[in-house]
This record gives sequence, structure tokens and C-alpha cells, in this order.
Amino acid sequence: MSAVSYSQLVWVTLPEIALVVAALAVLACDGTVLRGAAIARRRGVAALLACVGSVAAMLLVGSGPASFHLPDGMLVMDGRTRVVQVALLVLTILTVLLSEAMLTPAAEGVAGGKTAFTHHIGEYFALLLFATVAVLFLVSTQNFLLIFLALEFLSLVLYILTGFDKQSQLSTEAALKYFLFGGISAAFLLFGISLIYGLSGSIDLSQIAVAALQPDPLWMIAIVMVVVGFGFKVAAAPFHLWAPDAYQGAPTISAGFVSSSSKVASFFIFAQVLTLGVFGAAGSGMWHGAAPGWVPVLCVVAALSLLLGNLAALVQTSLRRLLAYSAIGHAGYLLLAIIAHTPQSTSALLYYVFTYALTVLGAFGVLAALEAQGIDRIADVAGLSRRAPFLSACMLVFLLSLAGIPPLAGFFGKFWLFGTALNAAPQLGLFWLVMLAILMSVVALVYYLRVLKQIFVADVPANAGAIHSGLVTRVTLGVMAAATVVLGCDPGLLIRWVVR
Amino acid sequence: MIRILWLIPAIPVLAAGFIALLKRGQRKLAATAAIGALGVSLVMSVAAFASMLGNSGLQVMNFRWLQFGTQWISLGWLLDPLAAIMLVMVSFVGLLIFIYSIGYMAEDENFTRFFCFLSLFAGAMLAVVIANSLLLLFMGWELVGLTSYLLIGFWYHKPEAAAAAKKAFIVTRVGDLGLLLGMVWLYGSTGTLLFYNHGAGCLEHGALAVLVAHTTIGGMAVSTAIALLIFLGAAGKSGQVPFHIWLPDAMEGPTPVSALIHAATMVAAGVYLIARVYPLMSITVTPGTISTALQVIAWIGAITAFFAACIAVAQDDIKRILAYSTISQLGYMMLGLGVGGVAVGMFHLITHACFKALLFLGAGSVIHGCGGEQDIRKMGGLRRFMPITFVTYASGMLALCGFPLFAGFWSKDEILHAAHGWPMSLGPFYLGTAGALLTAFYMMRQVYYVFLGSRRTADEAAEAAAKAADETTAAHGHATAHGHGEPHESPAVMGIPMIILGFLAAFLGFVGTPAWPWFSDFLTGQTTTLDFGRFGEAGLLPLMAVSSLMVFAGLGLGWWFYGRKPIVSASQPDGLEQAMPPVFGALRRRLFVDELYAVTVVRLVRWGSALADVFDRFVLGGLAGLMALLVNGLGHIDNSLDTHAVNGGFDLGCRELATGGRWFAAWQSGRVQTYLRTIGIALIVLAVMLLWWGKA
Repeated sequence: MSAVSYSQLVWVTLPEIALVVAALAVLACDGTVLRGAAIARRRGVAALLACVGSVAAMLLVGSGPASFHLPDGMLVMDGRTRVVQVALLVLTILTVLLSEAMLTPAAEGVAGGKTAFTHHIGEYFALLLFATVAVLFLVSTQNFLLIFLALEFLSLVLYILTGFDKQSQLSTEAALKYFLFGGISAAFLLFGISLIYGLSGSIDLSQIAVAALQPDPLWMIAIVMVVVGFGFKVAAAPFHLWAPDAYQGAPTISAGFVSSSSKVASFFIFAQVLTLGVFGAAGSGMWHGAAPGWVPVLCVVAALSLLLGNLAALVQTSLRRLLAYSAIGHAGYLLLAIIAHTPQSTSALLYYVFTYALTVLGAFGVLAALEAQGIDRIADVAGLSRRAPFLSACMLVFLLSLAGIPPLAGFFGKFWLFGTALNAAPQLGLFWLVMLAILMSVVALVYYLRVLKQIFVADVPANAGAIHSGLVTRVTLGVMAAATVVLGCDPGLLIRWVVR
Repeated sequence: MIRILWLIPAIPVLAAGFIALLKRGQRKLAATAAIGALGVSLVMSVAAFASMLGNSGLQVMNFRWLQFGTQWISLGWLLDPLAAIMLVMVSFVGLLIFIYSIGYMAEDENFTRFFCFLSLFAGAMLAVVIANSLLLLFMGWELVGLTSYLLIGFWYHKPEAAAAAKKAFIVTRVGDLGLLLGMVWLYGSTGTLLFYNHGAGCLEHGALAVLVAHTTIGGMAVSTAIALLIFLGAAGKSGQVPFHIWLPDAMEGPTPVSALIHAATMVAAGVYLIARVYPLMSITVTPGTISTALQVIAWIGAITAFFAACIAVAQDDIKRILAYSTISQLGYMMLGLGVGGVAVGMFHLITHACFKALLFLGAGSVIHGCGGEQDIRKMGGLRRFMPITFVTYASGMLALCGFPLFAGFWSKDEILHAAHGWPMSLGPFYLGTAGALLTAFYMMRQVYYVFLGSRRTADEAAEAAAKAADETTAAHGHATAHGHGEPHESPAVMGIPMIILGFLAAFLGFVGTPAWPWFSDFLTGQTTTLDFGRFGEAGLLPLMAVSSLMVFAGLGLGWWFYGRKPIVSASQPDGLEQAMPPVFGALRRRLFVDELYAVTVVRLVRWGSALADVFDRFVLGGLAGLMALLVNGLGHIDNSLDTHAVNGGFDLGCRELATGGRWFAAWQSGRVQTYLRTIGIALIVLAVMLLWWGKA
């Protein structure tokens, strides 16, 4: 290991430092100056600080060094990493803005309405910022040690965010399950990493790649363990079991964050590890004559995710569980892009995961805005288009984009992703998996449309009044829906950033 | 001028489109748009007319419209004295009637729709006038037919109006079929439908020579056949016998419509068409003889003039009298075209447009003032209540009768003069002269019934009041009597157009007297000189004396039957009826023409349609039923296949999917021990799988 100058280290981690400073400022402000102030005021100040910190971090990412490579792949920055970091920061800002709906005390007399789920405003925003720090580190390293550290950091923050609603038993239970599940997977991941270190003598992905050229049965064990670790993170079957409970139990915006930012970062690093680190041990996923390697493993995981996510979503009655299973299904599509591991498929992966994060965060945002009315089950949104036309319109855009209907962003994402998967090296034998994915996206349409049918066709239940939502929420959701449409109509806007 | 001539019809059509978009309540805007647009058209028409005064040459503007095969269909417009004078007449009379309509239609809820149709009509009629292509003329021709249909049926909730609209449309359509055939034939023979195209048009020498040179069935020249077919169209539109039956029924439309469309302009379109294609009508193999087409036109015109005048004698509806009078006068115009040429027929067309529009407006004013009453037997004495209407109506009536010095006198005299000099036969002349006598008679009768004498509705109102008083309370009876009300003069917006037209009816004839024949000279492009010596031409003055005598005799007879003893009661039999009951009865039934059609044409059509129905129902219907059975059977097979095989399979698949989903969801037991065990199992399974593959 060569020495690293600390001034250089500070220089390249300025964005993360800015976020940490912002998080501390939020905590300090909330704990001292605003002690005893109204929730709305505390929320406003904390959100403002969080946004300022994120914007500052974004500017620092933009103005920082375009590329660097610290020894042992500790911190690596290139054009694509920067794009991912900016996207993560944008998602953080959107999450912060959407938190308004969650932290607004419900109007008096709303049946089943919830009050603001927490009084710990400062801590909540600070944790969001810390989670952002974790994902920024996660995407900018190619070193197993740092990957593991960042993953654990992220996971710990997410456990807390999941259990943040202390009044809710579900929230606590979800956090506990998430934590136990995460702990076991982390153990497997660490085991896998140590096996790899033992086999290759390095924790730097680029050096592991050199050693991974000769297959060894132990490699396979190590790869399976790494896949388990990341499979947990991206909620791919059969490591998904935490997700439905966590999505349902967690505060809605926390669930949104778990399904957007955390997903973007995890998929990116998952792809990095597999394509950079163990590239040589790809193998083949052909039906007949599958060759051992990480490709067949991922093929199994992806197929399982596609089937399980989309089919189980069909029978859900809770909107959040539905989104959880749909997230599992989407993980299946995204794994397809990792399996293809061509430069185009990585670009497609990024496009898909960005637009997916945007739309799923939007869907959770709509749910958050509805939560004050106690809406959780699919049956509850009956006739929503008459009660909250704007939110319904946004939901329409988000769900149709998730289903992959043109001209929305989700359509182009799927189209590009499937296209690159079909164009991947033929010995990978991805054809059957792509067909399965296309079939399953047809099935997926059913459950999205079922929600939309409830919203737009079903009758308004008696004594259900109009639903009002905050201005910030509406503006944010409107911008997100507009972005979904625009990116679908002109994918070039995003493509030129994700294509290296 | 010629470049922007197309704007004259285009502006009213655009106004119609604009009005069509208005809401029902925007009445003022609708009327303003229609009148403004036609006003602009009038100004442009006058400008075109003025440009013709200087040099009366023909100007044309042609353009290619569409291509099929290697041929282009061209359209175009033209400006010559004939078109210029028609443009001014149509837009001027049209404008006056538009203004009058504001007052007449004031209480109608579909006011805007009315002005939309009127505007569309004006545009289409102006397009007919400036068309330099038989095709463009035909388009305008059909459009005026459409608007005529729409306006006759404007009060479509009245069954008579709806029936009359249909009748007008169908009867004129028979004539239009002839026109269409003639047009197609003309195109097939000459390859063009442009009238004038620098020597290549179908009315120019080259094409006419071709048409005359060829003969068709019965040794008839192609030109004659085409001319007769075109005349068929003109006869349909202009209500010539035997196509006249639609015109009296068309009086079901609002009176301004009757005045504009069914008196002044549209019905004259047939006359204008003949005048427009006059070179084709008059061409003969041997120069100097009279063409067959013109002979037919002259005879049909003369018969129509006399026949319709007879029927008019016995009608009781104020508008129907005028309708038959219009038919009769259209007959005179055709006669004029046939025996005397374009100028003779067109002069009568122009003067007639003024005084007949005036008479209709007067009749409308009477109807308006009497609360919708149209039966002349129930009027009487209106002179006192409606002085302006009476004076203007009298002016129009004298013009129509051909009272010396009034407009109709000069134009009708010219026709009679030409008919007298016709070398073929004197029959048309005698028919025309007799028609003049009848015209004076029926107009005198009408004026006596409507304006002179004592008011007869008042008596009946009193009777009704007395009757009502017996049945209900006196107050109710009084209300009923008041409902009839006193007749009243029409508002100024209706009166002023009538006054303007009244002046024209009296004095317009002076532009075409024998001493100063400006009108025919304008049409032929000569300069006019004042020469009283022309009165001395052979037979002119005696002829004028004879015709004036006829007018006076007609007026005198009218006085004898209706003025001598005042008409006291509405139910009293007609003066003429007392003298000659069977003749009067036949005339009142319109000489049984409608009945004749009913037992011949209509019955034939009925039989034909019954036959077609049987054929349709049993032969075609049977075939169709067989096909349907076959298709249905296949459909059933397909359906059962679909339901049981495909759908069943699909349902099974869906159920399987849902079951799968439930099974997957059941995995989600909520027990964290299961979850964690899953990871371990997955790890082992995947690792074993890989290792096994690796071994193989």
C-alpha cells in the first residue's frame, strides 16, 4: 500500500464533507436554536439546510477533479461516477422535499389519519444526509474494504430510518427484520470478500480481476456469497424477504429512499464488483451447457426475481407491498443488464435505474401525501381522481412509467435494457431470460393498471372529501412527473450523461 | 379587378362559416357579419360593374384545380357585362333582404342559423354568377340548391315545411341530373368545361364547331342534345313546366327567403345559366336558322308563362299567388331568351328581381302585420293600417302587371315585341299576351282582397269573442280577441328596403326603353344613344298599345269581379267562382298537376320501390341472410373454440399465475427465522449448482 496524502484525501472527499457539515448543522440547529419551535418551522429550516448541503455537494462534485484514482482503488472518480453521484444528490433533494408531506400534522377529524410520525425532525434529516454520504462513498470506491464499510454505514442508517416511526409497531418490526437480514447477508458478504482476498491476495477490484482468470471451485463459493450480500441490498429474490415488510412498515419516505437512492448506489457497485472484479469468471447462462461463473448465478436470481416479484405483486392488497414486489421485479430487469455486462448495457442499467428511482420515489411521494388520509390499501384509493386530481395524474405518470408504457421514461429504459441484453455476447445465452422479462412486464401491467383503475374508474366512496396536499409536495411531484414525461420523449437528455 | 373577383363570393361564404360558429344568443353579431360581408361584396360588385362600363370586354382568370391521368380540370372566374350586372343585382337585392330579415326574423330563436344560411346562399349564388367553368357553376348551383333546401325547411318542426323542402330538393335534382349529364357529355366532347379560355373554352368557336359537326341519335346535333340537357337543369331550377310544382310549396320557408331565393335570385339562376351558355344554345348547323334548343326554350317559356298565370288566378294564399306569378314571369324570361336573345331575357330578369322581391317583402310585411295570416280572404282594408306597405306594394304590382312606364312594362314589352317578330310561330306571342291579361287580373284581385275594401278579420274576431263568451268568461273572450290584434305597419328596418325597391320597380325600366336601350347595348358592348325615332319602328307602337290594352282589360276585369261589389265576408265565394265554378275549381286545384304526378310519376316510383323492396327483401336479403347464417355459424364455432380452448387455457394460465403469486406471497410468512433460513438454503443451493456445473 502506498501512502495517501491527507490533503488530497480531503480535497477529493469535499462533497461528502459538505454533506456531513450540513447534517451536523441540521442537528445543531434543531437541537439548540429551534428547541420548542413549531414542527412546521423546524421542518422548514432542517429541509432548507439539507437542501443547501446537497446542492453544495453537487456543486463540489461538479467542480471537483474530473477523475482521480487513489491507490488500491480506495477512491476512484470518473465521468460516470460523477453522474451517479449527482443523480444520488438529486434524489436526496427530492426525498427531502417530499418529506414535507410526511411531517405535516394531519388535519383534525380525518378518520384513520396519522399525525406527523416523529418529533425528531433534526435527526431525521441528518440521517438522510448521512445515508447520502454513505451512497456517495459506495459509488466512488473500487476497494472491497471501503465497499463493505460504506455498505454497512448505509445499512445502519437505513435500519434507523426504517424504524423511525417509534409509535408504529410495524415500523419497529420492519426495522428489526431488516437489521437481522442485513446482518446475516453482511456476514456472508464479508465471508465472500475474505475468500476472494485469500484467493487473489487483494481487495482492489482491478487486481482481483487479474487473479480471477483461473476458475477454482472456491471462487464459485466466494462469488455466491458476494451475490448473496448484494442481492440482499438490491432486494433480489430469494434475498428479498425483508423488502415487503420493510416497505410496508417503514415511514413512507424512508421506504422511498430505500427503493431509490440506496438502489441506485447498490446496483452501480454491484455491477462494478462483478464486471470489474470478477469479470473473468463470467460463465454462461445458456439452458444447455451452462458454464459456471457469476452469470448463471445471476440468471437464476434474476429469473426468480422476475417471477416472484411480478406474480406476488398480483395478489397484494397493500399499495406499499405492491411497490415492494414490483421493486423485486424491477431488480430482475436490472440484473439482466448486469449479466449482459457490455458497455451499452451498463449505460442502459444506469438509465433504467435513474428513471426507476425517479418514478418509484414519485409513487412513494404520492403515497406519503395520501398517508395523512390513512390510505394504504388499494381499495382505499377508489375514486382518487375526483378527490385529488393532481396527485392522481402524477400517480398515473409514475405507475405507467414503471409499467413501461410509451412515451414515458420507463418505456425507453426497458426498451434499451432489453435491447442491449439481446445484443450481449451470444455465449451468455440471455435470450430466454429476456423473453421471460418481456412476458413478466406484461404481467406487471396488470397490477399497475389495477391500481389506476381504482383511482380513475371506481366510484368515490361516500363521505370522502377532497384531499389537499402541501404546495412543496405538489410542485416536487409535478416536476418529477414532468421529468418522467420529458425523459421518455427525449431520452437523449439523460443518455448523453450515462454513456461513457 | 379580375384578380380579386373571387373575393365577392368568398366573403359571404366565410361570413357563413363564422356565423356557424357563433352561439345562438349572438344575434347582433350574426346579422352584422352577414350584412357586413354582403355589403363588402356589393361594393366590390359595383366596382366590377363600373370597370365594365369603361371597357366591356370579357376578362377571365383560370387556374388548374386537380389532375387525373394526364388531364387537368381547370376552374376559373370571369367578368363580363352579363356577370357584372348579375353581381350587382344579387348583392344589392340580397343586401336589402338581409336588412329586411332583421325585422322579419326578430322573434325567431334560430336567428343566427338563418343568417348563416342566407350568407352561404349569397356566396354560392355569387359564385354561380362569376363562374367561368360549368363545373364551378355546378358547384355553386348545388350549393344554392342545398341552402334553398335548408331555408325552405327552416321551420322544420312544421311537417309542410319539411315536406316542401324535400320536394324542392328532389324535383330540382331531376333537372340537375340533366345538367350533370350535359356537363359530362360536354367534357367528353370538348375536353374542357371552361366557358372562355382564350379560344379553347367550350363556348368558343373551336369547341362549338366540333359540337355542331357531330350528330347523335335521331340525327340531332350533339350541341342540341347537350343544350337540351342543360336546359333541363335550368328548367328544374327556374320552375318551368313541368318542373314548377316545387316552387309554390317552397313558400313554406320564411318570407325573406321566398323573396331572395324563390323570386329574385336562385330561381333566376336557370335563366342566367341559359344566358351564360347562350352561344351553345343558339348554335346551328346552318347559320341564320333558329336552333332547336331555342325553339324548345321559347315554347316551354310561353307555356309556363300562361299556365302559371292561370293557376295564380284562383289561389287564396298571398304567397302562393306570388309564387305562381314568379313561375309565370320566369316563363316570360325563358320566352325572351328563346325569341329575343340574352338582353331581352336578362332585362326582364333584372326588373323582375326588383319588383318581385318587393312584392314578397310587401307580402311578408302584411303577414307580419296580421300575425302570421296568409289567407287573402281573411285580410282586407289593410291600406289604412299599412300605408307604406300599400304604396310600395302597389308600385310593385303595377310593375308586374306591365302598367305603362313602370319597369315591367318595358321589359315585358320587349319580350312580346320579340315574340311577335319570331319567324317560327306566333303561338308564343299569343300565349304571352294572354298571360299579360291574366297577370293584371290576378294582381288586381289580390290587391282588392288584401288592401282595399273593409277589414274582414275584425268581424270574425268579434264572432269568436262572442262564441268564447258563451263558453268561458268574458275576460277570456276579450283576451282571445286581443290576441288577433290590429294589423300594424312594419318597423323601419323592413320598410326602408321596400321603399328602395318600390322606387326601382317604378323607374328601373327606363334603362331599357326602345328610345334609350342602354341595357342591351351594355350587354353587347355598344354605346347608347337617345333616339325617340326608334318608337316608330314597324309595329312597336301598336304592340305597346295592344299590351297596354291587355293590362287595362285585366285590371278592369279585376275591378268587375272584385271591386264593383265590396267583399264583405271571408267565407263568401270568389267573384270568379260565381261566374265560372268548374274552371275556377280546376284552377284552384292548380290544374291537377300535383295529382297528375301523384298518379303517374309518384305511383311509378312507388311501384318501382315496391318492386325493389321485394327484390331486396327476398333475393338480396335471402342471399345476405344465407351469408349471415354462414358467418354466424363460423362465429359460433370460433367462439366455442375461443371460450373453451383458448380462453379456457388462458384462464387456466391466469389462475396458475395468481396461484403462483399467492404461493410466493405465502413465503412471506413474517417469521424472520424463515427468512434467514432462506438465505442459507439459497446459498447452499447456488453453490452446489455452480460446483456441479463446474465438475461437468
